[in-house]
Amino acid sequence: MIEHLKKCAQAVLEGDDRQAEKLARLTLDKDYPLLEVIDKGFVKGIREVGRLWEEGTLFLPELVMGAEAMKKAMAILQPALESGGHEQTKAGLVVIGTIEGDIHDIGKTLVATMLSANGFGILDLGADVPVQRFVDEAEGKKADCIAISALLTTTMPGQKKVIEELDRRSLRDRIKVIVGGAPCDEKWALDIGADGYAGDAVAAVALAGRVIGG
Amino acid sequence: MEPVILDKFSVKIAANEVIRYLENGKRASSGQIKRFQGVLDLSLDRAGVLVRPRGIYVIAPGKSLPGSSLFRELERMAFCVCTIGPALEKEVKRLMDRDQLLEAVILDAAGSVAAEAVASHIDGIFKEQAAAEGLKTSCRASPGYGDWDVGEQKSLFALLPAGRIGVELSPSCMMIPRKSISFAVHIDRNPVRLRSENSCENCDLDICPFRITDR
Ligand code: B12
Repeated sequence: MIEHLKKCAQAVLEGDDRQAEKLARLTLDKDYPLLEVIDKGFVKGIREVGRLWEEGTLFLPELVMGAEAMKKAMAILQPALESGGHEQTKAGLVVIGTIEGDIHDIGKTLVATMLSANGFGILDLGADVPVQRFVDEAEGKKADCIAISALLTTTMPGQKKVIEELDRRSLRDRIKVIVGGAPCDEKWALDIGADGYAGDAVAAVALAGRVIGG
Repeated sequence: MEPVILDKFSVKIAANEVIRYLENGKRASSGQIKRFQGVLDLSLDRAGVLVRPRGIYVIAPGKSLPGSSLFRELERMAFCVCTIGPALEKEVKRLMDRDQLLEAVILDAAGSVAAEAVASHIDGIFKEQAAAEGLKTSCRASPGYGDWDVGEQKSLFALLPAGRIGVELSPSCMMIPRKSISFAVHIDRNPVRLRSENSCENCDLDICPFRITDR
């Protein structure tokens, strides 16, 4: 069992998605305790990926592959978790998108992937998302957090409008807002009354955990 | 002067510059790169097929830029919009939709490098033309960098019919296709320093992704 947990963590760390899938299936076949395998195996792996990224040891392709291996493993384990009547281990539901007028989406997609690999539920609305749609979806799906990406100073004001709309619908206490994208920073987040800013996809995971956690 | 369209040229996408976009503060080791050599090569090949370089420019006095006061005093400027076309980003989108994020990220980086290469190719033409008259060019300035507000993209697009090379400006001043660049250079015996303090030519941060000119 301990050996198995190590292998699970290792597969994610090495970004080996086939191995991760294989180990996820083996977990089910051998009837290993699911929560333990996830927590002490795969999750440990993705945490290590995040740590090595922050340290500068990993470069972007390695981060992406780690996240993808994690997602593949979880895609196999999640249904078993749910049918087994386990508490869903979701860290919270995040509605994410790039703001209206802005069509870049690779950065946003990286953030979505890392959040998902770290146990967050994700509703990805894509790019060029109108203010109303962010709020409609977050309200309808009872999301915990809205994550908004913007690439240019000319599109950043849309992030503020989402917050204003949440205020208008008296949803602001319930739904957190985090922002990111090249021209954003801590100060901008503070100015528009967002709950936080993060500079990359790994920092976004910590941020989302922090703001949703309370 | 009538706008000039350039569409019969190609650019090289340098693998080491693509890698630079993927780095994370530190230089990637050769071992790290080797692991991804396969996808990297494939992406460069793909990009080679998908990139269609085009540019449009005018040579005009600085004051001909509508609604802008930035270059008013400058006698001779080159204003340019250039692009790699829409095909590469469509492929990036397709890859993302199919959950091939690794391929998508690398191809996207190759597209950014290609866009820079297109701008730098045209910049090179301005340099040559200037040199033929015994003149020089300033370094490239772009709306959104330094003291040139990205909102002034509207002025540039009022001056240049960029639609002719397939580039549109959205109301939020984003160029579509995404992998497009607009810029200006000053042509003169003694060109001014358009982005004086933070000119890339004076900076020795070699791996900076913001770098837009060679040293
Ligand atoms: C590569 C690049 C380009 C490329 C490709 C652009 C593209 N989007 O495809 C090219 C060369 C074409 C280009 C063109 C331009 N660019 Co440019 N570009 C960049 C550069 C160097 C990197 C952007 C990038 O692709 N990053 C990689 C992706 C993966 O990262 P990302 O999207 O930022 O996402 C990460 C984080 O931001 C964060 N994140 C993203 N979203 C979210 C959301 C949340 C909630 C959170 C928590 C985190 C988060 O996590 C992501 C993953 O780690 C940036 C500077 C920089 N270092 O960021 C300038 C930059 C974005 N560009 C800039 C400018 C000005 C332009 C131009 C307007 C210049 C011009 N006049 O031509 C054009 C505009 C293009 C257009 N279509 O309109 C400015 C924008 C500033 C401003 N005033 O708005 C920047 C910031 C450079 C600068 N220092 O001024 N650009």
